Amino acid sequence: MKREIVYGLRSLRPRPLTMFALWSLPEALPAALSGVAVARAVDEGFLAGRPLVGLAWLASVMVAAGIGALGARGVYRRLGDLVEPFRDDLVTLTVEGALSRAVRGEGDDGALARLTHQSEIVRDTYAGLLVLTRGFCVTTIGAVVGLASVSPLVLAWTLPPFALGLGLFLATLGLAARRQREYVRSDEELSTTVTRVLGGARDLAAGGARPWALDLAGRAVDAQARAERSLAGVAVLRTLCFAVGGWLPLIALLAAGPWLVSRGVTAGAILGGLTYVLIGLQPALGSLVQGLGGSGLRFVVTLGRILDTAATPPPPPQPAAGRALGHLSVCGLTFAYGPRAAPALDGLDLDLPAGSHLAVVGPSGIGKSTFAGLCAGLLEPGAGTVTIDGHGPDSPELRVLIPQEAYVFTGTVAENLSYLRPGASAGELDRAAQAVGAAALVARLGGHDTVIRPADLSAGERQLLALTRAYLSPAPVAILDEATCHLDPAAEERAETAFAARGGTLIVVAHRISSARRAGSVLVLDGTSAVHGDHTTMPERSPMYRELLGHWEAAAQIQPAS
Amino acid sequence: MSVHGPIVRRGGAWLPVLAVSSLSGAAVALALPTVLGRAVDAIVTGSDSGRWLALTALLITAGIIADLVDTLAGTVCVASTTAWLRRRVLGHLLDLPPVSSARFDTGDLVSRVSGTAPQAAQSGLSLVTVFAAIAPPVGSLVLLTLIDWWLAVAFLAGLAAIALVLRTYTRRTTQVVADYQRVQGELAGRLSEALAGARTIAAAGTTAAERDRVLRPLPELHRHGRLTWRVLAGTGAKAAVVGPMVLMGVLAAGGIALSRHRISTGDLFAAGQYAMQGAGLGGLTGVLGGLARARAGVRRMDEVLTEDVMPYGQAVLPAGPGRLELRDVSVEAGGRRVLDGVDLDLPGGASVAVVGRSAAGKSTLAAVAARLRDPDAGSVLLDGTALEQLDRESLRSAVGCAFERPVLVGATVADAIGLGRGDGFARRAAEATYAHDWVSRLPEGYATPLDSAPMSGGEAQRLGLARAWGARRLLVLDDAMSSVDTATEALIRRALTRDHSGRTRLIVTHRASTAAGSDLVVWLDGGRVRGVAEHSDLWLDPDYRAVFTSEEDPR
Repeated sequence: MKREIVYGLRSLRPRPLTMFALWSLPEALPAALSGVAVARAVDEGFLAGRPLVGLAWLASVMVAAGIGALGARGVYRRLGDLVEPFRDDLVTLTVEGALSRAVRGEGDDGALARLTHQSEIVRDTYAGLLVLTRGFCVTTIGAVVGLASVSPLVLAWTLPPFALGLGLFLATLGLAARRQREYVRSDEELSTTVTRVLGGARDLAAGGARPWALDLAGRAVDAQARAERSLAGVAVLRTLCFAVGGWLPLIALLAAGPWLVSRGVTAGAILGGLTYVLIGLQPALGSLVQGLGGSGLRFVVTLGRILDTAATPPPPPQPAAGRALGHLSVCGLTFAYGPRAAPALDGLDLDLPAGSHLAVVGPSGIGKSTFAGLCAGLLEPGAGTVTIDGHGPDSPELRVLIPQEAYVFTGTVAENLSYLRPGASAGELDRAAQAVGAAALVARLGGHDTVIRPADLSAGERQLLALTRAYLSPAPVAILDEATCHLDPAAEERAETAFAARGGTLIVVAHRISSARRAGSVLVLDGTSAVHGDHTTMPERSPMYRELLGHWEAAAQIQPAS
Repeated sequence: MSVHGPIVRRGGAWLPVLAVSSLSGAAVALALPTVLGRAVDAIVTGSDSGRWLALTALLITAGIIADLVDTLAGTVCVASTTAWLRRRVLGHLLDLPPVSSARFDTGDLVSRVSGTAPQAAQSGLSLVTVFAAIAPPVGSLVLLTLIDWWLAVAFLAGLAAIALVLRTYTRRTTQVVADYQRVQGELAGRLSEALAGARTIAAAGTTAAERDRVLRPLPELHRHGRLTWRVLAGTGAKAAVVGPMVLMGVLAAGGIALSRHRISTGDLFAAGQYAMQGAGLGGLTGVLGGLARARAGVRRMDEVLTEDVMPYGQAVLPAGPGRLELRDVSVEAGGRRVLDGVDLDLPGGASVAVVGRSAAGKSTLAAVAARLRDPDAGSVLLDGTALEQLDRESLRSAVGCAFERPVLVGATVADAIGLGRGDGFARRAAEATYAHDWVSRLPEGYATPLDSAPMSGGEAQRLGLARAWGARRLLVLDDAMSSVDTATEALIRRALTRDHSGRTRLIVTHRASTAAGSDLVVWLDGGRVRGVAEHSDLWLDPDYRAVFTSEEDPR
């Protein structure tokens, strides 16, 4: 809780905060004046037989309310100055966190919810807390000043129980935040589980797993109900604190009434005192208890979740010195997805001189993408190294990876194509598109300046754009990780041939065995070993390769020529 | 039959308790100003104030106790009713026909279970709340009138002013908020694109550029955000005037009455208090809104709960080889006959491929055979017993189905395969379907959480296949290996053909090689059976060969 409060306080800009506080002063006026005005209106006006004086006193409260209204307007305007920059920070933090987790390969379902839903909760509750705290301070100070001016004796009887209640309430906040966090967590857990179970209703029915699924979801339902019940305990504590701070001053004042009258305190003063308690201290404490207990806790919990996922952006990569050739060297490369997992790669050695063309083949799930990820510096090897021209993984400008799911963002065609070569000329873009076979697509889209949306393009079209982009990249090593799987065989061949002629080193994670036929050398992964050789000798050396080849050819025979 | 009644009954003993406590809370709130006023009068006139003081203390204590009971009982009542309702709806949803022209999508159903259920669960409580909330402001108004009717007039005039201010607020905010949300949506869209391209971004080291690209609409968001506060500022200012206006109006009317000795000092004090409580009338809209939400919630629950479940019979599957018969089976979907009078008699223990162009009815045939939906006409028999006569347990253990897009459910990979049949089952099934080696390479093997095991379509299909492997009499594969690579598919196909457990296998496929490896091929065309024969015989027909050329290449 401390971290979130500190973050919230640090985000307050001093200048707008000062203005915010200054505008609060006129706003406090009605609260401060009302008790005194009522006391005077009664004592000197209505009871003294001068109703006009009484009315004048009441009218003075309305004048004060008018000034207070100006204050309120100023306060809310300044609120924007405080809250909007805070929201900007949150959004930035969320985006940075989500991106840096995503590039580390960590799945993150909640990023969009954090960006839209949760940052809005924090924005609203932050504003709410500012208004609330300020309102509490203003009203309390106003009421205390008013009480003192009515009679210091009245103040002495009412302030201590109020302060006690306030202190007790603040002490319960830590517990409340913990329970609230648990509640939110159980709620999310519930909706994740329910989404799974209902999304898989067909599969669960087919598997005869109704009782199991109902039990799975039922556990989450019960956990949520437990968390909700435990919130009731906190609410009871809050009610008790409010009883002490809000009602005890009243009883104290009434109990002391006869004594106060004997000390010369007037009827108006007691009425004024009661007014300050009932329309000042008690509602102020009430809204503080409600507000901190509700939106305050939501603020802490939700902000906490955003801060948990925040990350410092990585330092910009340092360009490697020297001319890039693309000599890729793999040495003792070992990788497993976890301490208990069997290694996907085990002590792999491979040397690809600049200009090589390698195809990686093997069944799905065998570690081909893992190998591509290691070459591209996306994964950290358990042992061994991958270097390009002697440089380690911190030199992203030396390699370009095109994954199966091509990345296209909303923007112009040119923005998308020149992503890895900022400032590329129109001619360069056209030549690259022509080379990989995307020229017709670019023309159909309407040229370089058309704004495209990824959802409007087919998977194959996205792949063609990503291929053109990668072709333009100055990186000497290109890694195609099933990057052509949505293209037909002819288009695939054209793209691969273009990349082979591009210069530098090409690694193709093969989707079809034909990719291996085109490559200078083949790396076969079969789960236990890796065999590297050329396409002609490989069938003799690798049973797995033989099998893959066999399936391809068998399928091609059964398949009539198309 | 609405679920409203059961919800109220679920509230059980809590509801009367809540009714008593909230009504006594309301009574205390109404009595307190008068009693306080008397206490003030007693203190001022120096008469015996002890009695009034004791009464005040008593009332306040009673009020606090009522408040505590409200809080505690309200939460417990709603929490347990919600849990009960959620379990009931979930159970019902899992009983619906698994494949149907779905009226509800999953997101909608999830929102009903997680969001709507708590609202519907309030439907007993909210009635109590409405009564308890109406009593103080209405009672205040009555009591104001009883003290002096001018007070009530002053009060109502003030309320009208407040209502006017609040109305203008809602209208202006809507537009400003809509603009703000539009920009926010744009930001979210940019982020979601970048997240989808994470691998490209990571390899290119362009995270910083992406951050700037995603955040480009932020200044615009900032501008719209500020506007929302400006609108609020105008309304806040008005509220700051009209709020005190109600109280001061009542006090002015009361003051004049006091000076004319129509009321006492204590009365004036009480009047001020009633004016403030009466202002709670504005809060009534919130309470009534709660009631409306509860009612709407119950309706949304009813919509789901009145959907017909899939009935099961009592029969137990007799011993047999797994002979599958379809007798004049027709299925309609979207106003179209998806299956049209299909008659099939498939021998037990055979591997049968189902082929046909897109929309020929292959998946519907699979769904009907696995009783994931019932045909609109005709019947499906397994070893002579109609599927709908079998009891649930008997049917589901005999018949299994693997899908083109399996949805994996469970905390871990083992759960997703086992579905409660134990880790031993998961491992045996994975071994039988050649998924074991791959699962072993996952970070924690079978214990790997599904969330942290990113899966390609082919990998998910392999788990889906292992999951269905336990079917004893009939195993249906609905295009369930379309994304599995050729080598693995060949291994699995071999396992399927050499399967000696004597069950029938119905394999929907696009691949000629799979059809070639099966004992028998069912060729569907436009919802009708075009032919049932061996692949090599059917191959002579150019129309049959055309079925495969239209599909994508087989890799």
